[in-house]
Amino acid sequence: MRKFKYTVLTIVVSTFLTGIAICQETKNNLILGLGYFNDNNQMQYLKANTKTKVSGKFTQVPGVSLSFYISSVSPGNLLGKATTDDKGMAFILIPPAARDEWNKSPKQSFLVVSDSSKLYDAVTSSIDLVKARIRIDTAEDKKIIATLYELKDTVWVPVKGVDMRVAIKRLDGDLNVSEAPTYTTDSLGMISADFKKDGLPGDTAGNLILIAKVEDNDTYGNLSTEKTVPWGKVSKYVSNYNQRSLYGRRGWSPLWLEWMAYTIIAGVWVVLLYLFMQIRKLKQLGAQV
Amino acid sequence: MEILARQKIISDLLPKKFGWKGKIWVAVLILICMIGIFAYIRQLSSGLIVTSMRDYASWGIYISNFVFFVAISLVGSLITAVLRLTNVHWSTPLTRIAEIIAVSAITFASIIIIVDMGRPDRFYNLFLHGRLQSPIIWDVIVITTYFFISLLLLYFPLLPDFNIMLQAKKEAGNRFNKMYAFLGSFWKNTPKQKKISRRSINILSITIIPVAFAIHTVTSWLFATTYRPGWDSTNFGAYFISGAFLVGAGAVLVAMYVFRRAYELEKYITIDNFDRMGKIVVMLALVYLYFNVNEFLVPAFKMKKTDADHLLGLFTGEYSGVFWFAISTSMFLPILILINRKGRKPFPAFIAGTLVVVGSWFKRYLIVTPTLLHPFLPMHDVPESYRHYFPSWEEWAIAAGSLAGMVLIITIFARIFPIIPIQETIEETEKHEKV
Repeated sequence: MRKFKYTVLTIVVSTFLTGIAICQETKNNLILGLGYFNDNNQMQYLKANTKTKVSGKFTQVPGVSLSFYISSVSPGNLLGKATTDDKGMAFILIPPAARDEWNKSPKQSFLVVSDSSKLYDAVTSSIDLVKARIRIDTAEDKKIIATLYELKDTVWVPVKGVDMRVAIKRLDGDLNVSEAPTYTTDSLGMISADFKKDGLPGDTAGNLILIAKVEDNDTYGNLSTEKTVPWGKVSKYVSNYNQRSLYGRRGWSPLWLEWMAYTIIAGVWVVLLYLFMQIRKLKQLGAQV
Repeated sequence: MEILARQKIISDLLPKKFGWKGKIWVAVLILICMIGIFAYIRQLSSGLIVTSMRDYASWGIYISNFVFFVAISLVGSLITAVLRLTNVHWSTPLTRIAEIIAVSAITFASIIIIVDMGRPDRFYNLFLHGRLQSPIIWDVIVITTYFFISLLLLYFPLLPDFNIMLQAKKEAGNRFNKMYAFLGSFWKNTPKQKKISRRSINILSITIIPVAFAIHTVTSWLFATTYRPGWDSTNFGAYFISGAFLVGAGAVLVAMYVFRRAYELEKYITIDNFDRMGKIVVMLALVYLYFNVNEFLVPAFKMKKTDADHLLGLFTGEYSGVFWFAISTSMFLPILILINRKGRKPFPAFIAGTLVVVGSWFKRYLIVTPTLLHPFLPMHDVPESYRHYFPSWEEWAIAAGSLAGMVLIITIFARIFPIIPIQETIEETEKHEKV
């Protein structure tokens, strides 16, 4: 009997412990990525993405709370908090309050820490970058010159051998200015590209927005600079609100349709009126008898 | 036709009081109409939410019913106009049946379209603020026009009969005499009146054909001008017209049999009439079958994704039961029955006509609803009820009420007016005698 009790007790305890172990094992690995972005040398922000492996495939993880830090993980260096969206992405603008920490050195580190949850343990990710910026200019014959500088001590110096993309900003993406997908900076930190998209529709003044970019660079992050140039075709919006058309509003149908429709309607109804008159005539004839 | 004396014809064809069967029939129809009215009052007070129509299936059996009524109304132009203009005389006893079917059907087509409106109190805006470019406005115009033409085509041939009914006051009873007098006491059967009447009927017969074609073509354009799987077809106008002729002819077969039995009209609606009408139904069913093959084979051959979903839903999917029922009852079975001489006897012809009418109603349902439930963009984040459509009891009640209303008009018409033209029958008999 005693042996039986011990056996049952052993089974219960081992089941309980196995359950705890299984519960602990169900926590998935969260993969956390961090990117630095500098748009137009003005707006700086950090973007984090979260992924996990489900059935051998990477899947975005929405709803993860993230804390962003500058230099080190400490309450004083907290830039802000954000939660990942449906695409597993979260971003924060670097606030003006971080200016002092930012100005301390030409190099900078950022960190992001995820909150621990039932599904995932806390994860930290970081990036180290050298502060850089792009300058974009134009020359004769629609030539575009972009220069990449990095900060060394307190001086901006050109950077050689970095891939840069030069494009025209469009509504749903960027269109390269020529066949070349990227250009590499020379010893002066410059690239030169020819604009070969003549006739591209611009705004009402014919303006296009040129954009020079460094994308996903390990040292400098994501940089971009824009410049407006009058190289596009003038786009004039012509309203068809007051034009007669089949899709026009009431009272603005095409004249040919109105003419046809009213002629047919009038034709048939004249016949009907004639027939109503015939009934009247029949009445008059009947009255005469 | 057996040669009959004038008085005998008049006495046979004058409207007769309802017997007990007739009274029960009318009571049942009124009851169905009342239930329909009750359901409509509920719909008016609570809104269209009492129906099963939602964002996707925004047209349900009301619109199916509308298309059915418009279709069945086309028979007026077939029997009255086409056969009259082609000098076909065997159809004379059927002209009034066809015309009253047309008038009652087009009346309820107009009513059911208002029933489908969420805010019927705004109906007048269709006339005040209608866009001429919209097929809906064309439909409003053409239905109104067709209604008046059908009414006139019913009225003109009735004029000599008013005179006969007024002369036979005692036989007919005084109940409706005031109405007869108001409608036709001026008819004195003078040669001038006869000439004007004959010319007016000819003008109407010519006018009604393009208008009848227009009414059903425009109704088809309500669908075909919309870019949706199942409706995006250049075949739709002809497809609808052929189907309309078929269902109208089927309805005439049914009405012929019922009136023949109810009013003992065997000498007037003869076996020969059934035989000829049966042949017409076979021809129309074959024509409609041809257009159906066009309508389904061409997209099925290409099987574009959205068309494929729609077609597979009809052929083998959710709607396959209704689809094959409709195809069999509206085309295959009537052809099989009526292609035989024996099948064109009154009772089998009546069965075939009933199959055509019932099958055609379901065919209209299949034209309207499955397409709406197969939009180009997939349905996302919608309640489950939005993905399917099955009419609510209010919809069934209103639809049944409208169908009963149409039959009630025909029944009451036959009680008040001669369902077979008396004067025309007498004239044809006299001609026959002379020959």
